[in-house]
Amino acid sequence: MTAPPDDHTVAYILESQPLFEDLRQVAAQLAGLLVLAATGSRDAAPDHPMLGAAEVLFKETLERVERTRPTEHARPHRDSLRQAARALGEALPAARALLASPNGADFDPVLIPLRDGYSHLQRASQLLPGFRMVAFEQGCCAGGL
Amino acid sequence: MNHYSLWVMEYAHVLQMPTSLFVYGAHNQGHRKMPYGYIVIKGPDVVATIDVGYNHTAYGEVLATSYGVANWQPARAVLAEVGVAPEDVSRVFITHAHFDHMGALDQYPNATFYIQERELTKWVWAMSLERRFRWLMLGIDPADIMKAVDLARQGRLVCVDGDRADVLPGIDLHAAFDSHTWGCQYVTVRNDLSPNSQNTWVFAGDLVYAHENLRGTDPNDPQYVPVGLATGSQFSLIMTAEEMTKRAGGDYTHVIPVHEERLKDLFPSRITRAGLRITELALADGEQSRVR
Repeated sequence: MTAPPDDHTVAYILESQPLFEDLRQVAAQLAGLLVLAATGSRDAAPDHPMLGAAEVLFKETLERVERTRPTEHARPHRDSLRQAARALGEALPAARALLASPNGADFDPVLIPLRDGYSHLQRASQLLPGFRMVAFEQGCCAGGL
Repeated sequence: MNHYSLWVMEYAHVLQMPTSLFVYGAHNQGHRKMPYGYIVIKGPDVVATIDVGYNHTAYGEVLATSYGVANWQPARAVLAEVGVAPEDVSRVFITHAHFDHMGALDQYPNATFYIQERELTKWVWAMSLERRFRWLMLGIDPADIMKAVDLARQGRLVCVDGDRADVLPGIDLHAAFDSHTWGCQYVTVRNDLSPNSQNTWVFAGDLVYAHENLRGTDPNDPQYVPVGLATGSQFSLIMTAEEMTKRAGGDYTHVIPVHEERLKDLFPSRITRAGLRITELALADGEQSRVR
């Protein structure tokens, strides 16, 4: 059985949970915009409010990730958050360019770093307790225990 | 005659799920088993499914340890019980975008997927809201949305706007907006292919979890009672229950909820060696039973 994290690591977990969720949200917003573009939606344009919201949320979160102070035990987790942020930071301007010219546009400059960012978030979710890629709480699988 | 064979395939289950999830307002009324499942539709020259299950690699352990989801089996093992492989499936009808219904999109390499456009656009809209609205995002995995992007680029994602008849011969999609989710759909199979079929099956997705949603708890005085989880409204769920029952010719046993364990009391079934149930609703002419 894995030993529970020490108090300093718990403090890091509490500090970084909202950052993780915000990065996950940015990834979800980018994926949502890509779906609109890929399905030919007229809403898929650079002035879509979600793109602006993702950019603002990302900027705020990036600064807060850099300010976290992980314990040695939590350092790989913070590294994963930073790598996720780096990848999402690459995907965001590419998404703006894609939405400006969706017809025949190349999705890979967005999709590849987005997937990369998502995989770093997945890794972070496995390194410490308290991080979830999907909000199962209150969902159709919740309440079983 | 039956044009299609129809099976309900359990792929995992929760043994102790509160009854209040199944039936709105049924608080402090104990627990029951909740199977997770999807439907296989096998015709003379086509195999389709309704929903696909979830991605165990990504979050199976979390579901197992935190929520009691047990005995998950991959599509290849589940489908083999009725002689089908994931590669054989050419059409998938997604009832809604919750992870346990569309999380395994990437397991069906030759399938075209049908989903209501509203289901996607409203989830995307929900993503644009501020953090305090995050309940609206429950059950959605961003990874599934990325998979949907790939499908759309490959021309394998069909966004449906409202009802659509004959997506396959005798198979219709019906929108149920603002109900369990924003863009739910249910599927009818007119198994005699007749426009005025007397042999219609209604596959309810999560618009119905259990037969109480269609019958209430007093057999002498039936009523509709909605499921315990809705992003939309209880009103929409009740009106959709009426619509589905009518499409089934008034026979509630032809409205199929995949999360209803007691289907086994109505139809022939068996438990596989993996401990999952297969329920056989109909057999096409010439098809062998998979439960006897």
